[in-house]
Amino acid sequence: MGAYRKKVQIAILILVVLIGGFAIGNALFKNDSKVPGVGDSPPGFSLFDLNGNAHNLSDYEGKPLIITFWGTFCPPCVKELPEFQRLYDKWQSKGLEVLAINLSEADLPVQNFVSKLNLNFTVLRDVNRKVERQYGLRSYPTTFFVKPDGTISEIAITAMTEKQIQERVEKLFQSS
Amino acid sequence: MFQNTKCECGHQNHVGTVLCESCGKPLGEQLLSDEPLEMRYDGVARRSQKANPNFIDKIWNFFSSVKIAVYLIIITLLASALGTIFRQESLLSEDPATYYEIQHGTIGKIYYMLGLSRTYESWWFTTLLVMIGTSLVVCSLDRVLPLYRALSKQQIRKHLHFILRQKVVHKTQISGDETEFINKLGEQLKKKRYRVHQDGTALLAEKNRFSRWGPYINHIGLILFLLAVLARSIPGFQMDMYVAVQQGQTVEIEGTPYYIKNEQFTVDYYTDDELPEPLKGTARPKLFETKAVLYECTANCNNLTQEPVLQEVYRHDIVMNNPMVYEGLKAYQSGFDATPRLEAVKPVLINKETGEEFGPFDLEIRNPKTSFEAGPYKLELRSQFMEFAIDENGEPTTLSRDPNAPAYLFILSGPGLKQDGEPYLYFPNQIDKLQFNQDAINRPIADRFEIKVNGMENVKLSGPITYLNIRKDKALPYIWIGATISMIGLIMGFYWHHRRVWLRVDSGVLSLGAHTNKNFYGMRNDVAWALGKAGIEVDPKSLDNGGNKT
Repeated sequence: MGAYRKKVQIAILILVVLIGGFAIGNALFKNDSKVPGVGDSPPGFSLFDLNGNAHNLSDYEGKPLIITFWGTFCPPCVKELPEFQRLYDKWQSKGLEVLAINLSEADLPVQNFVSKLNLNFTVLRDVNRKVERQYGLRSYPTTFFVKPDGTISEIAITAMTEKQIQERVEKLFQSS
Repeated sequence: MFQNTKCECGHQNHVGTVLCESCGKPLGEQLLSDEPLEMRYDGVARRSQKANPNFIDKIWNFFSSVKIAVYLIIITLLASALGTIFRQESLLSEDPATYYEIQHGTIGKIYYMLGLSRTYESWWFTTLLVMIGTSLVVCSLDRVLPLYRALSKQQIRKHLHFILRQKVVHKTQISGDETEFINKLGEQLKKKRYRVHQDGTALLAEKNRFSRWGPYINHIGLILFLLAVLARSIPGFQMDMYVAVQQGQTVEIEGTPYYIKNEQFTVDYYTDDELPEPLKGTARPKLFETKAVLYECTANCNNLTQEPVLQEVYRHDIVMNNPMVYEGLKAYQSGFDATPRLEAVKPVLINKETGEEFGPFDLEIRNPKTSFEAGPYKLELRSQFMEFAIDENGEPTTLSRDPNAPAYLFILSGPGLKQDGEPYLYFPNQIDKLQFNQDAINRPIADRFEIKVNGMENVKLSGPITYLNIRKDKALPYIWIGATISMIGLIMGFYWHHRRVWLRVDSGVLSLGAHTNKNFYGMRNDVAWALGKAGIEVDPKSLDNGGNKT
């Protein structure tokens, strides 16, 4: 009788620890709404560039990476893109990659814009705002700085000057 | 600590026993008083009451306390209430980091910083629920098993102390044969649907014992309910979101392998005859319906560089309260937007000097071709603005990616035009054309050429957009089952009462005690009725031994 009671007690407490632990752990470690944050890996994607070549995020593994979201309808983005170009010219030889993802606009404005500004980093085309949603964008421009180890080191949700970008890029290289 | 738990009848009781498990004689403190007995759990010890509790016993005892359970419930109630003060983060479309301060000031900021904006998903709220669940299980087990044991082997002949300290008591001298009297009384109680057990000159009559299990059945239901609620945090168990689907389009239901197509959307409005006076002339929708098709993605899913391969799995006409249901996934009609938007236009090029018309050509609003021909003229599309505006430098720009005020910059070339062409800015919407003064912008060319649409037959409008609420809740059936079990338990406990009558005759003296868990008024009437039929007239009120409210 005593031994049986003890067994039931222990069995129930173990169940409580298992179910309760699962539920509490779920609440504790649930990444709220799946939006990537600092320290996370950026969500993978596969998108076309302006020439119709597919690019996978995984193609850029091991490189310091800037992922920026932009649109022609967003004046700060329009101002910021040439800054990225200048930085890219400077750091390209050291391995920096820039992926500028357009916010699901039509072909012509994007083509026009890129050729007007003479951008030669990779410009990708989001489709139906899907990648934008995966990255949990709330305002434009938003830029993700990704370290060579594949984790996000910083998320900038404002437009940056060349100097501000420069500082962050230096950090990316230091961390490698 | 040593405690003598052996009763004078020879029964060895567990530590914590209040009334001897066998003869019912009060033990410990109860013995010293003359008050009616505390009959809770029939005076048996709770399962966990032990002389020397170890660590596990101590945890067990913590959860076994009803006082702790009540505190847990109060804390959970308060926390739930706090969570309703401001809107929860999960319902926001704005950035929660700034929303609360902007909307509610400092209090909002504190609310956000304390994490109350995520009350119901928080680890501490879940911990409270888990603790309540544990307390439910432990409290129930600790009480139901000893109670079951006590009720299933009741002794018929109870100690006089036990009988005469019930809340319903009668003691009187009887004449005649004792056994015959007991038999007679037993017969009467049977008529009241009591089960009667006799042991010589002692009798036990009992009815509706099953109502004692009501609270525990209720608890089983609640535990199932709680488990189902906790299961909702398992990925894929629950979803609740909205999709907007334009007529003719197919959109992905994110987080599932499904795509949903709006084949046709129809809306009926009330006629003026059907509307009350103040609403006449307004558009009041009567019925709207989405002819929907559900597809399952079989290949190239989640790959934006390839077309997904879709396979039709289900079709249904979705109306209010008649959702599409497919394998636990439900699509409810939520709303619609029937505002027509330009999708494509077929403009013509007019030579104003000769009055000749060339074209038409097809211009898609969102993704147009870049080169057109109209008679001898060539039109090269140079720029496209979805929401045309002039920026601070006087340059044309676009304010958004949605075609709210589309404009197209063409380079026209052909007979009567300059060699390398002349620019022409075209606004398909008449209202934009006037607002931005198309003719003034195109001044050098406006009096010679014009691009315009002839009649509505050359305009293609977008179909209405239907808003569907997509829901999935695998936990719901279990919540219903839990709620039903809980209700059955409540009904058992509320509408039936456990009534017992003990009596014994010792040398011509009848001692009778009766107990019920609720409605002592009815209990006294039962006893008085049975006694009356057996030849002892008593007023039901005179049976009251005090200590109760009914």
